[in-house]
Amino acid sequence: MIKRTLFFGNPAYLSTKNEQLVVSFPDDQPEKTVPIEDIGMVVLEHPQLTITNGLMGKLVNNKVAIVSCNGQHLPDGILLPMHGHTEQTERIRHQLDASQPLKKNLWQQTVTAKIKNQAALLADREIPVQRLNHLSKSVQSGDTGNNEAQAAAYYWQHIFDLPDFNREQKGIPPNNLLNYGYAILRAIIARALVSSGLMPQVGIWHRNKYNAYCLADDIMEPYRPFVDMVVRHIVETEDTYEELNIHLKKELLSIPALDVRIDGQKSPLMVAASRTTNSLFECFAGISRKIIYPEYG
Amino acid sequence: MDEHFYSRLNQYRSLWVLVFFDLPTDTKKDRKIASGFRKKLLDDGFSMFQFSIYMRFCASRENADVHIKRIKKNLPPKGKVGIMTITDKQFGMMEMFYGNKVAEKETPSQQLELF
Repeated sequence: MIKRTLFFGNPAYLSTKNEQLVVSFPDDQPEKTVPIEDIGMVVLEHPQLTITNGLMGKLVNNKVAIVSCNGQHLPDGILLPMHGHTEQTERIRHQLDASQPLKKNLWQQTVTAKIKNQAALLADREIPVQRLNHLSKSVQSGDTGNNEAQAAAYYWQHIFDLPDFNREQKGIPPNNLLNYGYAILRAIIARALVSSGLMPQVGIWHRNKYNAYCLADDIMEPYRPFVDMVVRHIVETEDTYEELNIHLKKELLSIPALDVRIDGQKSPLMVAASRTTNSLFECFAGISRKIIYPEYG
Repeated sequence: MDEHFYSRLNQYRSLWVLVFFDLPTDTKKDRKIASGFRKKLLDDGFSMFQFSIYMRFCASRENADVHIKRIKKNLPPKGKVGIMTITDKQFGMMEMFYGNKVAEKETPSQQLELF
């Protein structure tokens, strides 16, 4: 089932009663309640939010990803449960025991899926994609030819109709929208990994020692084009997107609900993420050899 | 945002489960059972719409079935309980009044909520 996303951008006191999340406001507004088991993600964005430990415990037990934002209103922390799956310890052992060739093969599948989705997104606007198609077909084990970067160079040149655009963390808009969207996506993938009993820290390709979400960053690659699609939609339809206002955030926060096609079926992105992470576990455990990724279109 | 991005979450697919009940409250034991039933509904995410009418939003048919099943498991031994499911679309068309004034409707729950 698709879980709900709650965004808190105003002062409020968050507590719990009857297995519900209770939102009390400082003014005379009536309290609101949301069933905790329906929640998938909570985004905390206002400095004047108070949250009780009882509520945090219940949220974490229900595998809710709690995303906290910094003073610039950008997501900068994710709180996830320590035990997301009953067989967690066994599953993590499978993950840690994965052989180097298996990891390289998984990374090959991941890059192929990513480039395919990028190509489909460009093809949507009738941009020639022979180059990307060629790159997606020639990804080697472990992506030794670095097709990912070659594809990215072409992709970012063509996705937006903006001549000066470069994909950089601190670059010009819509880089700000992309950063926000990817942070949300990362939380969704990290949540799915934890609930499949995997450790988001130990990646198949990313292994920067300063990165606590290496595996999430690996697995989210083929999902990035869906965020890009939403951002492109904003760039095409909005007059201004320099500032991340509440209206734009609303569009970006709907990313978990986006329709994606996975394994021949349409499903919301958040549900698809769990299918992907489950298939990843099956690869680690030797049950299957294929990660199931969504396809654009 | 374009509706076609989210066809899986439309108003005809998401449901509201309504529970109507009349439970005996003559003896202390009956009252305990009745309030226990009500408490279980609250724990399960139902909220009071009117006295002894509770309702809950469910994102899909499968999800609604889960909650209906839970109610059936906790049915009190005596008294009358009705369970009804309507689509979010139908729910949104309900007219409500306080006295003869049109009342503000409870906005149908959404996948994304901003507070």
